[in-house]
Amino acid sequence: MARRADEEYDYLFKVVLIGDSGVGKSNLLSRFTRNEFCLESKSTIGVEFATRTLQVEGRTVKAQIWDTAGQERYRAITSAYYRGALGALLVYDVTKPTTFENVSRWLKELRDHADANIVIMLIGNKTDLKHLRAVATEDAQGYAEKEGLSFIETSALEATNVEKAFQTILSEIYRIISKKSLSSDEPAPANIKEGKTIVVEGSEANTKKPCCSS
Amino acid sequence: MDDYEPGPVPSPRPLDRFGFVKPELNISPDGLIKGRSACEYEREERRVRKWRKMIGAGGSDWKHYVRRKPHVVRRRIRKGIPDCLRGLVWQLISGSRDLLLMNPGVYEQLVIYETSASELDIIRDISRTFPSHVFFQQRHGPGQRSLYNVLKAYSVFDRDVGYVQGMGFLAGLLLLYMSEEDAFWLLVALLKGAVHAPMEGLYLAFSFVPLPIFVTEVGDGYFRWRWQKWVGLPLVQQYLFQFDHLVREHLPKLGEHFTQEMINPSMYASQWFITVFSYSFPFHLALRIWDVFLYEGVKIVFKVGLALLKYCADDLVKLPFEKLIHALRNFPKDAMDPDTLLPMAYSIKVSKRLEEMKQEYENKNGKTAESAECNEKQKQA
Ligand SMILES: Nc1nc2c(ncn2[C@@H]2O[C@H](COP(=O)(O)OP(=O)(O)O)[C@@H](O)[C@H]2O)c(=O)[nH]1
Ligand SMILES: [Mg+2]
Repeated sequence: MARRADEEYDYLFKVVLIGDSGVGKSNLLSRFTRNEFCLESKSTIGVEFATRTLQVEGRTVKAQIWDTAGQERYRAITSAYYRGALGALLVYDVTKPTTFENVSRWLKELRDHADANIVIMLIGNKTDLKHLRAVATEDAQGYAEKEGLSFIETSALEATNVEKAFQTILSEIYRIISKKSLSSDEPAPANIKEGKTIVVEGSEANTKKPCCSS
Repeated sequence: MDDYEPGPVPSPRPLDRFGFVKPELNISPDGLIKGRSACEYEREERRVRKWRKMIGAGGSDWKHYVRRKPHVVRRRIRKGIPDCLRGLVWQLISGSRDLLLMNPGVYEQLVIYETSASELDIIRDISRTFPSHVFFQQRHGPGQRSLYNVLKAYSVFDRDVGYVQGMGFLAGLLLLYMSEEDAFWLLVALLKGAVHAPMEGLYLAFSFVPLPIFVTEVGDGYFRWRWQKWVGLPLVQQYLFQFDHLVREHLPKLGEHFTQEMINPSMYASQWFITVFSYSFPFHLALRIWDVFLYEGVKIVFKVGLALLKYCADDLVKLPFEKLIHALRNFPKDAMDPDTLLPMAYSIKVSKRLEEMKQEYENKNGKTAESAECNEKQKQA
């Protein structure tokens, strides 16, 4: 089966979207993958999935993004999807302080279930609601620095920084991956680590593995 | 219910016969001509007359009829309950009518006087439940208010379950066919198991299991146990386990392909179980499934799921991971036709294997429930 041009890529990166319910994860995803914002979106039940192929540091990267239900008791199902993820976008709502306060619990979730070297980006979403802002940029920035996360504020509604957020985390993942394969001329080894088939070197056989077997 | 201003009343857009806004693409010329023929109307009317006779005035003959002719009832329900009688029949077959009669005034009490820890969670999801249905579209309109009331009442009635995302779709579907109070009791009947096995495990957060080794003294001779979180949504996990096995047994080739592509049912079937197909399936199909679901129980969800996979298996086995996931969430229109899909579903037998696999699942997960009976604080002996 010949692959169509739009399916050719150098790397496949799996990224998860996590954070409290209602912070805008699903809309960030639809903005990034389809450039859509949906006022009439349904709440996410379980997990959703979307991909987009883009250029990162001169390479063609396919981002495979898993969007999860935010409610606490769904974690029993959603945490299986952290495994094998190279990146996590941890989203809070800048108008809802509790969603920011819960960030530390989400970090703990990641530390319990995700790979140790996962790249995490903290995202404060809904910056368009200026009059309702309740989490200061500096507070979040400070927290991110303390925890060693990258940080950005976005608006899925106005499409502000959404592209940049994804670009940034994918570049960071790329840098980590390519550092690991410095010794080789190849862009990256096919398998970085057992159980992780995220980095794919063009071969058809490897283009699909989502890495959540449980 | 929140600090947004009430939005404008949505401009009139074409609705389908259930009240959902039609996606714009669908207003094709043939869609306009295609109404129901006179002959179909007549057949429908004959059906309604038969049903009315079976039910009796206000449902008075129903129980008698079911006892005498359960198979006739089952056959008729499988053909679909007439839409104008659906609300009433659902209440009769689910046992919710009896609950309502036994508990006068309870619903009102729950709605008016009680407060729920889940109120904010519920509010956040109200406008994200059936957003394309005319009844639920208007911010703070009667649809959204009744949805809120039912969910809040349930979260108070059953504080262990509280509110869980997904319940709104059940409640919303019911509210299109009955009053708030009736919808509430039907939800109770389902989750608490009035007629079939209770389904509250679909929504339970977790049970706690104590780890005796980590007992620490907290003073006064009291000890605190370390508790371990047990699985969330335990029944969903069990259903997914059972479904996975059924797929492998009924459709070995597809099952093998799923293994190769690393597809598991949690990627596509969680919603089927959590919302009983009401989340994203065509509404007319969801209703037909609900007719059978309320009478025969959850096994119809497994059967319909298997029938869908079976119908599409030849295409699915050819697809690589991403396309496969997409296909499993967007079944073709012909697969979604109730008159094709449901007969196929009825022909699939699952009861025995479901029971066996339930046992297997429980053994595998080592029923440690007994040890969970310890108290959180235990007086030193
Ligand atoms: N004003 C504003 N609203 C947003 C934004 N992103 C999402 N929303 C709204 O917030 C609600 C929840 O969004 P959703 O993507 O479903 O959140 P999720 O539960 O995290 O997936 C929806 O009503 C969205 O329309 C944003 O950037 N700005
Ligand atoms: Mg979502």
